[in-house]
Amino acid sequence: MACNPRNTFPGAVFNSRERSVDLYDGVFGAGDGLGLEDVQRNGGIEVDYRGNEVTVETFIRLLTDRFPSSYPRSKRLVTDERSNILIYMTGHGGNEFLKFQDSEEIGAVDLADAFEQMHEKRRYNSILFLVDTCQAGTLLPSLRSPNIIAAGSSKKDQSSYSHHADQDIGIAVIDRWTYYNLEFLEREVTSTSSNKTIGQLFDSYDPLLVHSDTEVRYDLFEGGAQKARERRVLDFFGNVQAVEMGGDTEEEQQWREDLVGLKRLIERNMQAREDAALHPLLSEATITAAEAPLGLLKKFQVVSAKATSGWSKGVGGAMALVSLGVGWSMASYFEY
Amino acid sequence: MRVMKEKEIKQTREEQTNQPALINGHAHGPRVSVLASACAFTCQREHVKELQSRILSLASAFSGHVPVASCGADASDAIFVLPLGEPCGHRVVVVWLVLLAAWRNAEAHYHDRSVGSLGRNFRPSTLKQATTSAGQNPSTAAGNTGMDEANGNKAAVADIQSSAAGTAKPEPPSESQSLLRTRRWIVLSFWAIVVCFGLPHWLWTTSTYRASLPLEQMNNWAEGKACQLYFPFNIRLGVQGWSQGEVDQLAEQVRPLLDGTDKQSPFAFLIDTHESDCGYAQADEAVAVSLAVNDGRNAHEHISSLESWSSTLSLRYGLARPKGRDGLARWVADEVREVFQPQIESLIHLLSGTPFALERTALTTAATQAKLDARNTRAFKYASTYHLTFSLFVSGSSPAAWEIEEALHDYLEPLIDALKAISNITVDTQVQLHASFSPSIACPVYDKSSKEWKLRKEDLSGFINAAEWPLSPSIGSGPTINFVLYAPTPTQSPLVIAETGGSSWLVPQWGGVAILNSQTHTTRLSKADLEPTMLTFADQLTSLIGLPAEPAQSLALRLKALSRERATSLILSSSSTLGALSRLTLKLTSIAIPDTVAASVQTSLDHLTLACSDLKAGRYESALTHARTADEASEKAFFEPSMVGQVYFPDEHKVAVYVPLLGPMAVPLVMIGLKELVKFRDARRKVKTG
Repeated sequence: MACNPRNTFPGAVFNSRERSVDLYDGVFGAGDGLGLEDVQRNGGIEVDYRGNEVTVETFIRLLTDRFPSSYPRSKRLVTDERSNILIYMTGHGGNEFLKFQDSEEIGAVDLADAFEQMHEKRRYNSILFLVDTCQAGTLLPSLRSPNIIAAGSSKKDQSSYSHHADQDIGIAVIDRWTYYNLEFLEREVTSTSSNKTIGQLFDSYDPLLVHSDTEVRYDLFEGGAQKARERRVLDFFGNVQAVEMGGDTEEEQQWREDLVGLKRLIERNMQAREDAALHPLLSEATITAAEAPLGLLKKFQVVSAKATSGWSKGVGGAMALVSLGVGWSMASYFEY
Repeated sequence: MRVMKEKEIKQTREEQTNQPALINGHAHGPRVSVLASACAFTCQREHVKELQSRILSLASAFSGHVPVASCGADASDAIFVLPLGEPCGHRVVVVWLVLLAAWRNAEAHYHDRSVGSLGRNFRPSTLKQATTSAGQNPSTAAGNTGMDEANGNKAAVADIQSSAAGTAKPEPPSESQSLLRTRRWIVLSFWAIVVCFGLPHWLWTTSTYRASLPLEQMNNWAEGKACQLYFPFNIRLGVQGWSQGEVDQLAEQVRPLLDGTDKQSPFAFLIDTHESDCGYAQADEAVAVSLAVNDGRNAHEHISSLESWSSTLSLRYGLARPKGRDGLARWVADEVREVFQPQIESLIHLLSGTPFALERTALTTAATQAKLDARNTRAFKYASTYHLTFSLFVSGSSPAAWEIEEALHDYLEPLIDALKAISNITVDTQVQLHASFSPSIACPVYDKSSKEWKLRKEDLSGFINAAEWPLSPSIGSGPTINFVLYAPTPTQSPLVIAETGGSSWLVPQWGGVAILNSQTHTTRLSKADLEPTMLTFADQLTSLIGLPAEPAQSLALRLKALSRERATSLILSSSSTLGALSRLTLKLTSIAIPDTVAASVQTSLDHLTLACSDLKAGRYESALTHARTADEASEKAFFEPSMVGQVYFPDEHKVAVYVPLLGPMAVPLVMIGLKELVKFRDARRKVKTG
């Protein structure tokens, strides 16, 4: 979107017609005479995936962390069973799907499967899943993993509408549901210690303003609707990092002693290791010796199995082609 | 025979006249779907039995699933229950529809032929005639509707025969026998290709490869059945100046006191009284208890002390104490237990909530529970490699350099070396000048009374300017632990935390921050300047790595406890990953499972078994190594990148894709096949009856 040639403000994305905040970090488009000098820079919003990288496959891979080992850590979702995850999706959609990039779509079942995999691998503590799209509610029933609070902007056969358009840009800049979500966050959640709850957020949607009925699923959450509604909005929307203060002089003294001790310990260990190298202990040595060839053997087996399977596939394909050819010529033989 | 056939025709006709939308196999009626039209045609009661028995057996031959067809109350309406949800369901439906359509065509042809004089082109007019003749004869119509069917049919048949006779044209000349045979051969060869190559090809290319996994073993591990966790603590007891026999006797007394009454406990104390002569590894795992007994008249002391660098518990006991020699064994047991108690508690805490959980878990109190939880949330998850990044952020332009290498060597390297047995640790350093505060926090306030700049506690979490300070989290694989030393400008120094007056804090699972309030303004920070900071960082590092806080006196014992906990937690996490994988393979039936996954799972299982046996034998270091390999292998298996490719397609989509693809090809093929079959059958019947 930011780099689309039809964008009047290259490198910038706005969420209102006032264009007061550049959501895409205005470094690229700064001071280019487009009247963006007064725009508030957010100091750079990190966008990990943009343009052609945004595909259904990458999204599923991101959730399930199925990446090659060389994949950079900054583009992964490095979470564990202590993490809260916010997933906010908006775009065009329909009954049980949401479109990605005009060319593909993610289905409700795929999404539910990805969440289930995350749950199995304990990749989250809880998930807040918000979708703003037409018939967003149809994405929710397939979910089956615990500790998910899910909300969709509209029920089945209902459309989600945009809030307003910017005449200069020529398109709608924000969706209604997203707009009122944002409004709640800006108006009610004013500090990092805010105690506003998910329940209050969901209650703030006015169907008359949003033009659609929000569909919410609490039943997956442990403790049901009540516990889910009590969760703080900032558990998901705010990245509030707790800190622990410390650093008194006693500790330092203790450490000074410990360090001296550690040095001696390591020297002793080194000595012991050297001794051990001279008189290897039987048990450990045998285990490692017995293991090494086994591992190697397996590797070789895997490699050779791969090789043969590739060959056999090729041969099979060739056979099939040849026999089709024979069949063809037989057919033409019978013609006479 | 002939009459019977024509009876059938009549019924078909009737149906077609009742449903004018159904002409030449196209449905335009209210049920506009292939299924509906097929049903409408087939569901005359006499037809359906014959048709079902023949077509259904054909259809089910392809898959083993028998589709069910039944007639509804309305004779022209049928309900087909198709095994859509089954594996291969879509294939059955495709074959089904193709067969039905083909049968319908073949029947139509056959009937056209069997009427004898009626060619295909004449059909509409014939129909019309049949209808009008039925309508013109009121008595026949009445017989049809009101009286028994046979009579009505007879009348109608007579009607058709008469009308057919009127418009009869000569049959086309019969084909020569050799031509018929050739055609039969052609049909047969096409069918042979489809059945021998087409169908296997289709099945082969549309099936996903799923390597077989040892699901049962995986589940056994996940459910904690494969390994009974057991933690022996080796203790080497030595008493100064006592003979071997006396020491053995003391050990005999201490042993039951240590083990307690709980025979099922997974924690066992193995007391060895012999001098270490069994090699390095075992000697190092054991905790030495060196007891000095003072039998002096006024010896009332009972001192226990731990040493920081060695796993030796030194005890001094005065026999002049009230209980004297009898109390000795109990005292020794209590002291040893006290050393191991925090370890036992944290292991119980670790196991709680997992399938390996111990039945007796009432050992921990709420306070220790909270303490252990806090330690857990503070620490990074175990990784085989941690990256330490030491960064100096300077508010102004000086100090511009630091003797970090020397400082690290002196103050942190011993700790890092000690931790290397558990994880690999790499170290990077960087210096950034003119580093500004994060814009999201309030600026520090000058406090005149104490002459200090004060930072509010709320601002500490936002102190790190994540946007501008180059604290990139991605250095290779494995998490980065950040240590930030911030040097404020001389005008803003000293900078302290308002609430505590301290100058360092720890950000859980991220790293540590310290503020350098040096009064000497040099351009280069010396090793001595850095010493307090480095010691703080060392302390923070132990917290972030998850080193147990107790027993506080002995770092060596804490390190040992950590390696024990890590080995256990790795076994737990690997088992749970294997369980997750096994459940997933059952749940997501469309996901492909390559051979590499099976190989990794096997590696993981092998190493888990080894780790378990090592743990039981008290070889914790070796157990950790195996557990680490097992965990890495199971993670690799679970996160196999190629296990994403296949996404979910609803069966309706599959049918929608396959029918236009295979339908046009398969309909003529099936149709001609059935036609030939019908001809073949007729020829045989002729031979029989004739």
